[in-house]
Amino acid sequence: MKGVVLGLRAWLVAGVLIATASTSSQPPNVVIMLMDDMGWGDLGCNGEPNRETPNLDQMAREGLIASSMYTAAPLCSPSYTPQNMVGGIPDDEVLLPELLAQKGYTSGLVGKWHLGHQPQYLPLKHGFDFWFGAPNCHFGPYADLLTPNIPVFLNDSMVGRYYEDFHIDKNNGVSNMTQLFTDAAVEFINREANRGPFFLLWAPDATHAPTYASEKYRGTSRRGRYGEAVRELDAGVGAILDALRAHQVDNNTLVVFTSDNGAALVSKYNGGSNGPFLCGKQTTFEGGMRAPGIFWWPGVIPAGTTTHQVSSENTQPSQPYEEAVAEWCGRRWICSRTAAQLAGVQTPQDRIYDGLALAKSLTHPQLEVQRPVFLYRGNRLMAVRRGPLKIHLWTFSTPTAELQKGINFCPGAEVPNVTTPTPTNHTARPILFNVEVDPGERYPVSHLSRTYKDAIQMLKKVVKEHEEKLVPGEPQLNWCDQAVMHWRPHGCEALKECLPIPQSNPYLCDWPH
Amino acid sequence: MRGLLYLCLLLVTRCECEVVKQKIRLDNEVLKRSIIERTEETEDDSTPPPPSPNIVVLLADDLGYGDLSFSGHPTSRTPEIDKLARESLFFTHHYVTSPICSPSRASLLTGRLQVRNGIYPWTFNPMNFLGLPRNETTIATLLKDKGYHTMMTGKWHLGVGRQGEYLPIHHGFDHYLGLPYSHNMCSCPTCFPGRPCHENCTSTSVSCPLYSNGTIVEQPVDLFTLTSRLVKTAVTFIADAAASRKPFFLYFPFLHVHDPQFSSEKFVGKSLRGTIGNSLYELDWAVGQVVEALRQHHLLSSTLIWFSSDNGPSLTMHEQGGCAGLLRCGKGTTWDGGVRVPLFVHWPLRISPGRSDGLVSALDLLPTVASLTGLNISNLTLDGVDISPLLWDPLVVSPRKYMAIYPVDPNSTIGPLAVTNGTYKAHFYTQGSYLSDDDNYDPLCPESHPLTKHNPPLLFNVHHDPGERYDLSADPKYSDLLRDFTAWRKNHMKNMIWDIPRATPLDSRAQPCCTSTSCEPFPKCCDCPASAPHRSTPNSNDIHSLLFL
Repeated sequence: MKGVVLGLRAWLVAGVLIATASTSSQPPNVVIMLMDDMGWGDLGCNGEPNRETPNLDQMAREGLIASSMYTAAPLCSPSYTPQNMVGGIPDDEVLLPELLAQKGYTSGLVGKWHLGHQPQYLPLKHGFDFWFGAPNCHFGPYADLLTPNIPVFLNDSMVGRYYEDFHIDKNNGVSNMTQLFTDAAVEFINREANRGPFFLLWAPDATHAPTYASEKYRGTSRRGRYGEAVRELDAGVGAILDALRAHQVDNNTLVVFTSDNGAALVSKYNGGSNGPFLCGKQTTFEGGMRAPGIFWWPGVIPAGTTTHQVSSENTQPSQPYEEAVAEWCGRRWICSRTAAQLAGVQTPQDRIYDGLALAKSLTHPQLEVQRPVFLYRGNRLMAVRRGPLKIHLWTFSTPTAELQKGINFCPGAEVPNVTTPTPTNHTARPILFNVEVDPGERYPVSHLSRTYKDAIQMLKKVVKEHEEKLVPGEPQLNWCDQAVMHWRPHGCEALKECLPIPQSNPYLCDWPH
Repeated sequence: MRGLLYLCLLLVTRCECEVVKQKIRLDNEVLKRSIIERTEETEDDSTPPPPSPNIVVLLADDLGYGDLSFSGHPTSRTPEIDKLARESLFFTHHYVTSPICSPSRASLLTGRLQVRNGIYPWTFNPMNFLGLPRNETTIATLLKDKGYHTMMTGKWHLGVGRQGEYLPIHHGFDHYLGLPYSHNMCSCPTCFPGRPCHENCTSTSVSCPLYSNGTIVEQPVDLFTLTSRLVKTAVTFIADAAASRKPFFLYFPFLHVHDPQFSSEKFVGKSLRGTIGNSLYELDWAVGQVVEALRQHHLLSSTLIWFSSDNGPSLTMHEQGGCAGLLRCGKGTTWDGGVRVPLFVHWPLRISPGRSDGLVSALDLLPTVASLTGLNISNLTLDGVDISPLLWDPLVVSPRKYMAIYPVDPNSTIGPLAVTNGTYKAHFYTQGSYLSDDDNYDPLCPESHPLTKHNPPLLFNVHHDPGERYDLSADPKYSDLLRDFTAWRKNHMKNMIWDIPRATPLDSRAQPCCTSTSCEPFPKCCDCPASAPHRSTPNSNDIHSLLFL
């Protein structure tokens, strides 16, 4: 679960550099669109055959596709009763909105928070000035006896509960939550666009099971119910970009679209698609870890480009892109460590940011090759991607007990020695893939080859350096307690929706994955 | 609570307006873009377009559903094809008639299933002495009769014949420059002189012949310069056609990205995908050159471009094989990975960019072109249907209701292994293939999965479940559908008239030989220096000189 923190942190820091590295007098706005369980292959621009994401496809045409965007963990939160979790984001973690506040940014969160739901962990305590959304996934409905329904917050007070006041019809997959989240985001932009720089984290969770869409999207997708959710989110993306255009701040706003992990293949045909990648959510194969990535900043980010066009001997077609990036770098971007200071923001010196290189890789694709990405499942380093190579130190697919229940993280892919049903240690002879020529992780590089020997030597060094540098965070999500569930969220009195709190009885949470 | 309800109501109402507006905006944008393009084209044109469009068919070899960057391959580089695809109508449910080369191409050119015209089982190899029957009517024949200039540049693979009697020039093409079959069927070291040959080329065959019309002009062909020569020939053909102001048909079946992959020097090492990436990048360049030639001659608005592939990816080549994307299995199988391939149609004057999920097939090219150009096809027995209604409105119901999917080695007892209606697909039989990789982790793809009957047939919703993972046949609510599929297939089989298989008889001395088929030591003695064609050139013409530019 450390991954949650790492994941967001990587993102947030990337955002900081982007937001603060500009030398122009008006610091750019930042919008991060973080989807829930949406797969790499769900976007038309990533090859979804039905092409039901016209707004995202247009965004990609106007921006930059990051084809190798990794999330920090293959899951957003265990799919078990999440609200009995005691922990959350520690106070000493500095989040992007807190950094941005130094430069006068107003920060808003619309959608799922999921970094802890006790009062001290909620968004307004961590730098956000505005929040409309829920602290957890929209599981339910509950009877409010053993488990209370998840509350929906407006700023620091609840304004109702899922299934009670904010309806989700699980039978037909209908809810207007995405509409509400879209409109809240547009309203936030309407309010803040002309007042100064703003940061918006838009995190709707309609593509997380149980998926939903508004009534008018019913039956509109060739892909079924999941596709309806995607279509409505795509319309939301269009509405948000339109709002930026309407206020003429589109040329001064960086918008990033991504997802928290790969598609949940356990949902079978009601889940998303990871395109050509192996397995899905919960695993550290490409299907679990590679997320869609679009960066959009008209006039700054060169339109219609992808970051994998990198090679020291670049050929004709990519030259205009390189030139554009170089120009971008020189004109609008400070490619140096002093960026933050120049912009007047002090990044804390007492901690290591995992996301630093991410922002640079945006401006200069060559850096992407040099940057290793460490793939964790729980607190175990499973795999490392660096350049075209990916090394699996450990593999773990679906636990046998889950398989017997019909749950499968890797449907259709039983790869001997790779999609292992128990955590399997390959450290002595790691499994190596070249995921540029073999994105599906089908063909391990032979351990007898020169490529293998060189690559393993290099990657093991990278891992060693990483493990020496990494100071493990204290696991925050180990303790569970029925008493910390949403019995009496702030604001429940006004709504007359407070529930009696059971006696506190803390216990160690059980994470089967 | 009242305040909350008000908030919700307000948000919902406003949001709905926003969504509708958004939709209209998008529709308008698409419309505007296409109008602008049309206007630009029209303004650019110095001459009015001919009444019938020119036809350009670009066919990639073994290019899978997921191989283009446009189709979601994370590391492919196909900027020219992507651009063309974005300006085209893209068909998401396009099926070829066979998961393998020759039959698929025969169907593309004739609008008839391979079992009708005898192009089975498997493919032609250099020792086959038969070919596409002379009484088959190809799209080239029809267009030539209508006054079109016709040209083919690239891989034929529909037979040569002992006297070259099955070559393209006998099937409606005025000109032909290219290879008669796949280059992996040639003697390998001569195709890749001085370089290691990493795949399955044979050493007992003659080296690869390059035909100009009916003449071998180079044996072994220099593959490293071939693509640019094919492009030059195609581009010159377009220029000549533009000058003569006659309509034309260009059929350009590329050798890329079939294994063993090759590319010109300037594309070597320019891809993140290795040799297949290089050859795909050269293919992309070639497509760009053809489009650019059309643009330069102001012919884009009067030309219909049909881009597709002959079958799914050759997974047996592992990471140097193609990618079926999210589809199951690949070449050699009747799973979607073998037979569902990209298709897009570009004609800015008449076709708006977009996509259609209507069921279409390579079989439909001929009748559709016939409809667009006013060809009389009433005397032909076709399996293709005119899909032009979909070209004008991608949302109408497809004129094609079903598609029968035959295996690599069809026989009349078993018939098509699968049938699809575009939304559902029923597998009456399944069979793996070594071409889909004997190491494939999906147990139904490799050859070790024998021909297996399914009763009831396996049923998949290919919209919701494009990977054909979740069988619906046990659900009683689909029993009517299964009955429909079964009845349609039975009727299809009853009405099918099978021709005798042409790809079976072999004769080593029937191989294309630049010198004499009785020369010794065979086949080595067949080689000719590139600059000295030996055989007489009964159909030589000005195209020939282009070879040596």
